[in-house]
Amino acid sequence: MSPPLGESVYEVFARKSRGDPLRHIGYVDAPGVELARVYAWKTYDEENWFEMCVVPRGAVIPVNRPEGPWARNLPKEGDER
Amino acid sequence: MGAEPAEGGGRAVTDSVPPPLSRHILTLADTKRLLGIRYSDWILGSPSIETGIAASSMAQDEWGHARLLYAMLKKLGYDPFVVEHTRPADRYYSAPALDRPFADWADFTAAVVVVDGALAVALESFAAGNFALARTRVPKMLAEEEYHRQFGSAWFARLAEAGGVAEARVSEAAMAMLPSTLAWLLPGDDVYDDLVAEERVRPAEQVRERCRDRLAATLARAGITLADIEPARDGWDAERRRGPGAPGEEAVERARGDRNRDLFVE
Repeated sequence: MSPPLGESVYEVFARKSRGDPLRHIGYVDAPGVELARVYAWKTYDEENWFEMCVVPRGAVIPVNRPEGPWARNLPKEGDER
Repeated sequence: MGAEPAEGGGRAVTDSVPPPLSRHILTLADTKRLLGIRYSDWILGSPSIETGIAASSMAQDEWGHARLLYAMLKKLGYDPFVVEHTRPADRYYSAPALDRPFADWADFTAAVVVVDGALAVALESFAAGNFALARTRVPKMLAEEEYHRQFGSAWFARLAEAGGVAEARVSEAAMAMLPSTLAWLLPGDDVYDDLVAEERVRPAEQVRERCRDRLAATLARAGITLADIEPARDGWDAERRRGPGAPGEEAVERARGDRNRDLFVE
């Protein structure tokens, strides 16, 4: 499902305790970083997270599955980003 | 104003005019309870699923904070159950901006910035005073309030920057709430002066400065200059620390739990 007009998808990562691996727990649609942070914290509040982060979906670069859901983020040839 | 009653009594707020510290706590608790109700009206029908979830969470935050604040009244001789569940609407001490439901999302957004923001400033001042329960319990509330601040400032900016009807409505909504809310935050009456003298809260000038820090930049996005807003003190009710009027009966019935009265398990 596409996000509402003017919103982007942010992937949500969190770890329960210091030293735990950061794991992917879901995503939120938000119009910007500030609301993405609030939405993530309020939506995924089932745990008392030690740390939570959001990452714009467009910033996730696939490594071994170029045909997967992140394919559009693959750098083009000559792209220096 | 009289001294605070001793711990252990079971007074109702309707028995007499509450002393300064009791009035202060009632003002904070009732405003949080009403704010929670107004937020809860938008759990469904807000602009997105995520926004509705945030509204739900914020409503629950406000109710949780209200309950902690009502519980502080026990230390002052009141029965929190009686205070929470038996008062008529005209015995509520809540901010007037919450007397009626929010008409639209602009009202919701303006309330997060103006009313929730003023509440946070008032709580911060209370936590800095010498009332032990406030010093220990309020900091956790303020940590949760930080997400309300981010939510409010981001949505306010979004509507203000959209221009047109969105900007006009959020500006109008904030302007409608500001005068009564500023008077609620800083009543400038003898009871508040007593609170300051007893070191329960920060002096008015410090609270005013914190209010500027918290609200001015956000409001400026919709062309509002906070320093130009005059607090509305017409018809001031010193006992309830607010202007005339009362929250709507529909909200007070929910706040008291009228429809659930026979099922209370406390």
